[in-house]
Amino acid sequence: MTSTPPNSLILATLDHLSRFAPFDRMEREHLIWLAERLSLGYYAKGEIITSPEQGEVSHFLIIKQGVVQGEQDVVRAQEDAAWLELHEGECFPLGALLSKRPVTSLYRASEDVFCYELSAEDFLALTHKSEAFHDFCTRRIANLLEQSKHIIQAQYSQSSAEQQSMSSPLSAIIRREPIACDPQTPLREVLESMNRHSIGSMIAVDANHKPVGIFTLHDVLSRVTLPGLSLDMPLANVMSPNPFTLPPHALVHEAALAMAKHGFRHILMVENGRLKGLISEKDLFSLQRVGLRQVSSAIRNAERLECLQQSARDIRELAHNMLAQGVAAEQLTQIISTLNDLLTNRIIELELRENPVGDIEFCWLALGSEGRLEQTLNTDQDNGLIFSVPAGSSAEEVRARLLPFAKRINNSLDACGFPLCGGEVMASNPKWCLSLDEWKNTFDKWIYHGAPMDLLHSTIFFDFRPLFGAQHLAEALREWLRVEARKNTRFQHQLAVNAMKNRPPLGMVRDFVIGEGHTLDLKLNGITPFVDAARIFSLAHGITATNTLQRLREIAEPLNIKPHDAEAYGDAFLFIQLLRLRLHHEQTERGESLTNKVNPDSLNNLDQRILKEAFRQARKLQTKLGLDYQV
Amino acid sequence: MSLLKQMFGAKPQLTASQVDRLRAWRDQPEPDTRLPFDASRLVVVDVETSGLDVRKDHLIAIGAVTVVNGKIILADSLDIVLQQRYVSGKDNILIHGIGGEAQRQGMHPADALLAFLEFLGKSPLIAFHVEFDQSMIGRAMKAHLGFRFEHTWADLAYVAPALYPQLARRYRSLDKWMELFGIGNYARHSALADALATAELLLALRPQLEARQTMSFQSLRDLERERRLQTHPI
Repeated sequence: MTSTPPNSLILATLDHLSRFAPFDRMEREHLIWLAERLSLGYYAKGEIITSPEQGEVSHFLIIKQGVVQGEQDVVRAQEDAAWLELHEGECFPLGALLSKRPVTSLYRASEDVFCYELSAEDFLALTHKSEAFHDFCTRRIANLLEQSKHIIQAQYSQSSAEQQSMSSPLSAIIRREPIACDPQTPLREVLESMNRHSIGSMIAVDANHKPVGIFTLHDVLSRVTLPGLSLDMPLANVMSPNPFTLPPHALVHEAALAMAKHGFRHILMVENGRLKGLISEKDLFSLQRVGLRQVSSAIRNAERLECLQQSARDIRELAHNMLAQGVAAEQLTQIISTLNDLLTNRIIELELRENPVGDIEFCWLALGSEGRLEQTLNTDQDNGLIFSVPAGSSAEEVRARLLPFAKRINNSLDACGFPLCGGEVMASNPKWCLSLDEWKNTFDKWIYHGAPMDLLHSTIFFDFRPLFGAQHLAEALREWLRVEARKNTRFQHQLAVNAMKNRPPLGMVRDFVIGEGHTLDLKLNGITPFVDAARIFSLAHGITATNTLQRLREIAEPLNIKPHDAEAYGDAFLFIQLLRLRLHHEQTERGESLTNKVNPDSLNNLDQRILKEAFRQARKLQTKLGLDYQV
Repeated sequence: MSLLKQMFGAKPQLTASQVDRLRAWRDQPEPDTRLPFDASRLVVVDVETSGLDVRKDHLIAIGAVTVVNGKIILADSLDIVLQQRYVSGKDNILIHGIGGEAQRQGMHPADALLAFLEFLGKSPLIAFHVEFDQSMIGRAMKAHLGFRFEHTWADLAYVAPALYPQLARRYRSLDKWMELFGIGNYARHSALADALATAELLLALRPQLEARQTMSFQSLRDLERERRLQTHPI
């Protein structure tokens, strides 16, 4: 059109568009090409923008301002039928344009809307011109996720990944200024202060805050207690003078080297003569401790519960670091689950060594999210026991022997940071410490009665997975369930009805089904719809996997779900998991208790969009469930 | 040309090609102003000037966008600065943001006005507070092209209150109406940005116009006249 330089209106349009994906990643030349071909249209509140009746889509629309809602079921469209909500910077309809067909949803202005409009012809030309644009249009959710990942990596890389390396500067691992006092302070006061702050050392500084000595708990025995010194003595009399110091830019491994060479336990960091930090031997150990290999080998070799408690903390630390390095949610939740498995295994091994249960053949079962290998950092215990009954004995007798054993394990897990299950879904509950036949009977009742409690139980127990012991018992139960659950379509229907009661939210800002305090429950509203649907379809098609992603992959073929749809479900599920992990990490950093509730306003624009897209995928999967079971 | 001569309307000297361009513009056929919006081209205009006195101040910039078949065509827009012999005062520059350098480097006024005419064609003009834009452009045409610019205008400052009489008392400025429809402005007091905002206002008035089945430029004029008679009965 124009060969002259773009005028202020084109430039302003360019600026506006580049605030949003995918335009923020497109080359300027392509953006100018786009802006020069745009027209601007207005749609009054309630007006239909495009609908299936209008035939092949003629325009690609980008929202300049206002909110557009898409209604999928045109026939039954009502006010509450909105199924996606689009905001400033978002574009539609992509699928219809790419395949040159009419839209399947009806798009309506839910308030006054201005849209930039590009002809379908120019839209296709742009997908050929701009790779970034093409990529966005064809792999919408995958593309957004990639961007989000880059942002997360950028955010976290400074705060933590660097900290974990032996080659980072000392300044990177110092968290706060150490506690110090005047060398003339009486010992009693010094010791009281160390006790109050739970610190192992006290540094003496002069008026200019220059360190002049150090005194550690280790010194108390040899320099104070045994010589029988009075606690009224000044610190200066017993401290080690002229402590070893390093500047902030010295590397962590220099400090390690100095400690090894001179046998120091503490090294001071000094900047311009002033005390700035304290590095202890323990700080250095913890740096090396939290690698994946280190954590797992520490668990395998742990001899006492205290060691495992430390490992449990290390697992959380490791998860945080991996999150920071941009490890995908799938791997991350699997790693967490695997390490938690190891930990549980070791607890059981230690317990068996301490209090053997003799020749009882049993298998420890992981249930719920642990059974699905989807543990986040906010998980209480869900476990059970399955055992075989030897000839001449009864299930009651075996149970009586196993329950105290299970109780101790539950308590140990609790001590390692897996709180006891509020709903008593634990191996130490006689209801969930059952022989193979008893488990079959229990499951059978649930399947044939389908009372509300039975349905709830099945969502926890049917995701069981053998964790320790006689696997064949769990396998036999799984095989039995595979056959029985598949036969009973009434039960599947009941599960579907139950699952559909939990609807994912619609949009992001308005119309949002937002709970107390303007929050969204990522687990209930985001994860559960995927987990439930995947479970029901798997039970119906005799698929024995318990992991939701694996289930989604395996049901795709029997259910005729297109591969890219299945992939989108998986991506959506994983994104919500990732948000949960990030949320938990942030809550840990702030010292808050972990919840799944997030304030949507706290997410950046990109994450809001992906989350919305993820909820849309959840609704899509639910719609499929609804159609298949005529809910 | 002295200021006096300019004020008393000495005939400006046009080059042969400028004369040809002016004639070509004049010879274009007049459009049918009764065509509905979705089958017509309208031009929405806004100007920046050295001040608010329509007799003394002069035209600095013209911004215009087109509304073709009911949509604003972004690339079919005009953003033109007229070359100034005397740069306007600092206070004035602070309003429209066209600095001294830009004013001196603008397009020669006759060429700038011809470019505007060629952009406009014979499409009807729309503005908010037409009197001002009309006088400023008219005076510049007279001074630099030596002809009386008599064009058909419609004024949204009258059309909007005619459509929303209950709001008329409180809504007088363009800003107020923009606020009502949540219309943004990427650079208020830049001629092109204000023209765009005015065009967006026109689009936002469409549902009310449709409700009255007044969907042509001519009907905008009728509404405007109706409103003028109500507010300033003769």
